[in-house]
Amino acid sequence: MSEVSANKLKPATKINDRIVRVDALQKARGEAMYVCDMTLPDMQYAYMVRSTVPRGRIKAIHLPEFPEGYHFISAGDIPANGKNELWMIAKDWRCFADGYVLYVGETIGLVVGPDRGVLKQLKAQIKVDYEEQTPAVTIDDGINCVGGPMFPEKGSNVMCELFCEKGRPMDEVFAEADEVFEETIETPYQEHVHLETNSAIATMEDGKFVFYASAQCPFYIRKSIAGLLDIPYDDIIVRQCTTGGAFGGKEHFPDVLCGALLVAENKIRKPIKMVFDREEDTQFSVKRHPSKCIYKTAVKDGKITGVWGHIYYNCGAYLASSYVVLQRGVFHGNGVYTFDNTYLKGEGIGTNTFPTCAFRGFGAPQTLFAIETHLNHLARHLGVDPLAFKMQYLCKKGDETTTNGHIIEEVKLPEMLEVVTKESDYWRKVREYKPGCGKGIGIALYNHGGAFTGNGEQAIIKAHARLVKTGEKVRIEVGSTEMGQGFKTTLRKICAATLGVNMDQIEYFNPDTAKVVDSGPTAASRSTMIVGRLVERAALEMKERWNEGDFTTEVEYEHPDGYPWDQSTFRGDAYLGYGWGVACVEVEVDKLTNEVKTTGIWSSHEIGRAIDELIVHGQINGGIIQSLGYGAMEKLENKKGYFRQKSMSDYVIPTSMDFPKQFYHIQENPYPWGPYGAKGMGELVFNGASAAYVDAVERALNTKFTAIPIPPEDIEEAIKHVH
Amino acid sequence: MEKVKCFIPETLEEALRIRKETGATILAGGSDLMVSNSMGAGITPAFRGDVMIITGLKELKGITETADTVEIGALTTSAEIAGSPIAPELLKDAASRMGAIALRNSATIGGNIANASPKGDMPQPLILMDAEVVLKSLDGERRVLVDDFIIAHKKTELRDDEIITGIVIPKPQFTHIFYRKIGMRRANAISKLTLSAAATVRDGVLADFRASSGAAGPKVARSRKAEEILIGRKLEELSACKEEFLDAWNGVISPHAMPEYRRNTTRRMLAFFIDALAAGHAPGRVDIEE
Amino acid sequence: MYTDVRFTLNGEQKLYRGDPLRRLLDVLREDYGLTGSKEGCGEGECGACSIIKDGELVTSCIIPVGAVNGCELTTIEGIRDTEKGKCIIDAYAEGGAVQCGFCIPGMVMATYVLLSKNADPTEEEIRVGISGNICRCTGYDLIVECIKLAAKKGAALWRK
Repeated sequence: MSEVSANKLKPATKINDRIVRVDALQKARGEAMYVCDMTLPDMQYAYMVRSTVPRGRIKAIHLPEFPEGYHFISAGDIPANGKNELWMIAKDWRCFADGYVLYVGETIGLVVGPDRGVLKQLKAQIKVDYEEQTPAVTIDDGINCVGGPMFPEKGSNVMCELFCEKGRPMDEVFAEADEVFEETIETPYQEHVHLETNSAIATMEDGKFVFYASAQCPFYIRKSIAGLLDIPYDDIIVRQCTTGGAFGGKEHFPDVLCGALLVAENKIRKPIKMVFDREEDTQFSVKRHPSKCIYKTAVKDGKITGVWGHIYYNCGAYLASSYVVLQRGVFHGNGVYTFDNTYLKGEGIGTNTFPTCAFRGFGAPQTLFAIETHLNHLARHLGVDPLAFKMQYLCKKGDETTTNGHIIEEVKLPEMLEVVTKESDYWRKVREYKPGCGKGIGIALYNHGGAFTGNGEQAIIKAHARLVKTGEKVRIEVGSTEMGQGFKTTLRKICAATLGVNMDQIEYFNPDTAKVVDSGPTAASRSTMIVGRLVERAALEMKERWNEGDFTTEVEYEHPDGYPWDQSTFRGDAYLGYGWGVACVEVEVDKLTNEVKTTGIWSSHEIGRAIDELIVHGQINGGIIQSLGYGAMEKLENKKGYFRQKSMSDYVIPTSMDFPKQFYHIQENPYPWGPYGAKGMGELVFNGASAAYVDAVERALNTKFTAIPIPPEDIEEAIKHVH
Repeated sequence: MEKVKCFIPETLEEALRIRKETGATILAGGSDLMVSNSMGAGITPAFRGDVMIITGLKELKGITETADTVEIGALTTSAEIAGSPIAPELLKDAASRMGAIALRNSATIGGNIANASPKGDMPQPLILMDAEVVLKSLDGERRVLVDDFIIAHKKTELRDDEIITGIVIPKPQFTHIFYRKIGMRRANAISKLTLSAAATVRDGVLADFRASSGAAGPKVARSRKAEEILIGRKLEELSACKEEFLDAWNGVISPHAMPEYRRNTTRRMLAFFIDALAAGHAPGRVDIEE
Repeated sequence: MYTDVRFTLNGEQKLYRGDPLRRLLDVLREDYGLTGSKEGCGEGECGACSIIKDGELVTSCIIPVGAVNGCELTTIEGIRDTEKGKCIIDAYAEGGAVQCGFCIPGMVMATYVLLSKNADPTEEEIRVGISGNICRCTGYDLIVECIKLAAKKGAALWRK
């Protein structure tokens, strides 16, 4: 850096500086442009025409007369060389239902044209005749092949399955046990409710298809939809717009919008905008997988000798990304504990419901809730304090994991528990609040494996990052996205601190697939940990050569040696680093109405190191409240294939009045392969508060829950059954 | 689709004339009708017939009192009622728990009554207090008890030429009141169950007792017959006739969804209120001490 | 022919001659290009479309434009460059209230009304004041802290 220009520049940003988020002012001023805010010349609009039955054959589609300039786009508009499939992880999700439908809300076609009112009328006049079949809706329906197996060749609805085992055979362990404690724990659907609904615009530029999308993974979209027209990836350009929340709901699901829009764009060649109304987004978008977890725990002399688990996830009608979700669920099936003998089996069950997909935690929250709640129940069954009981089994560095790998890092849970129990005055309250007294305090421990499972980063993603230096400015070129989690700020901070320059000198725009390299999906809590590290490495190289003028550095992910993983047997080190968490919740239950008032929330999280404490603080608060919503109030029921909750007035998420101010603590434990010691954290913070909440309510009422959420009417039920 | 006509009268007289001539749907605050007729973003809501927006009619706003009554203009918003020093307590409770803050600045008491939803917040305490709606037309004015005005779910006695212009509430003389709204969350929520109860204790005798249950059947439930079981009793007799009353009340409500929760919770709340009265609770609001 | 609708929007007189039944939010966003107000739910539940009407917070998605005849309307665009508006927005940025940002313009409007009526609100009063504005990202704590910060930093402004 020349001395003259250096004098004009602001001081170098340090990694510990408290800084203002780079996107805050623009968003708060209402100037950030989300997809819904964009208007292009001659813009057309599109609405989806969807199946209204959960399972059936399409006998006929009756279209009204379409005025000039209005179009109906469906499977027939996919060219002969194209394939009617969206390539998520599996390729089974059809862009347009053709011949038959598998769930309510499946895309049958699009109506496209200039006037939204006319389009809605046309849509209302389209009549589809079905030969209806009996749908499988719940996991049990799927297991029992209600309505006939979805996969006749297999004679079942099982879409995917895996198991992992450790130690001795479980039948031996059960035979030696004093008792086997068995429970079935169920977790529900959850809707993301990102405040910005799903939306995308398709248009043409210089013969290429251009998409403006509210999305987490612009490169996923390109890959997923190119096969519809059988065109090279480069003929599709995806530009991510400011994204108003995602939480996993915009990881693969934007493919469903963009795929249909691509087929329409290929025919119409005008800008086409599609923005879901909230009712559509609530009923017809992907959800968190409902689960049913059967645990059998062998106990001898008051100690756990083995844990057997059979975990079912409801995948909906298409596999899409569910196998990977299920894997993560199974791998987190023993929570933060080491047991000598375990057997965990997972099955993904197909049903005639909207496909389930990524949602913050990606399969881990279900099993973590189940194991935590199960162990609490077991402890009380044995007449011991749940926390004291669980603390005997905490994972330690070097412990063998359920996948026969090892815990690679020091586990700081004892230190974190110390902080949380002290701040919450946990032990005093446990003594004072007698079971059933109306007040209760609960605590949960949890973790989250950072980045893609096993060797996924190395074998599948192969992430790249590129820095481009122009004068004193450096542009970050990666495909990772800002969706509210603070990545633009975090990444610029890492880059600036590494280069020894001010953050203002670093540029990082919303990714455009034509301009940046593929750094992998913005998912799996991998962005800071993996992409942040790539940028750090690229910046270190750039710093060495800073005086060479304008140039570019680009790096590729390198997996540390010595941590094997076999994806065919699911054996080895599933994760190189975990985030760890402790959440404690205190409640008071209204004796007249069973309404629960949360009176305290305390947490500690070990995330390696916080790159930006304020951002991490915000993630912790938000993740915990989302988790408390999941445990307490967010009820999404599917009856006969139809979601009963349709809007934000009947699917309710927490307001500012529902939960009190939180105490939070961040435990340092630098991670050797992350930037400045950082690990993933976005999902971790979701993984435990719901179990702590249920624990607290159970103690307050001296009752037991085996399913969430627990609104007052379900508390009424539980009390009735126990007493 | 044929375009509907939309009128924006500037005076009540003009509004009454339009109403008589066209029977146009009356839009007060819009918070119910704009949602139920919504076609989604960017599209004009699809009303089935002509509409008259009366939001701006100043004659129908405000709260006044006489010696015996509190009178509330039909276009008075929930927020105005919640903040009024003269509105009855039970009505203020209901108004202040209705929906979101911003919604309370649009939603009107007249609209909430006309919407006739059993989950509506305002009718429940109004029915308890024997409030009347004032209905005007070019032919004159009539008053109907809110309890009689709302016939059933989404059905009222409003005639095609009438407009609700106000609500008249006899000034309550209660010594004890109880109000609870159980929503789906702690704020900004539609009612899962509501209950108002009120009593007048004079010289150790329950001179008056009333209750009304919202969201526990097709319309707000009140039963004078059940109330009679308690009225006139000495406080020390209350525990003896409590169960009879609770059983009678249980027959009054008819919840469709989550019946057990709604029935049991209603019973617990009423029992709690009666027990408090029997125990000689000080005049004022009765509730669990936090 | 529709009835004329006249109102003041961010200090300017407007004459609207379209269908009075259109949603005010659509008119603001599409006719006047004021896209700072967002649609989160379309039913008055989430507060993302909050604006100020005659000094009170309202959700513009459930109000027909015909209902604002004679009213004074203020959107985020109307306050963001005022002293009070900047005070809130700067506090939001400084204190980490903003994540995805979609709820934030509405939240800023709610804050503006809250502080205009109560210059020194308690934690509880703040939580009540923003209870109609749903945020899925932050869990609200930092928004509440930022409102306290705005109250403190702008004490002189809000007491006026």
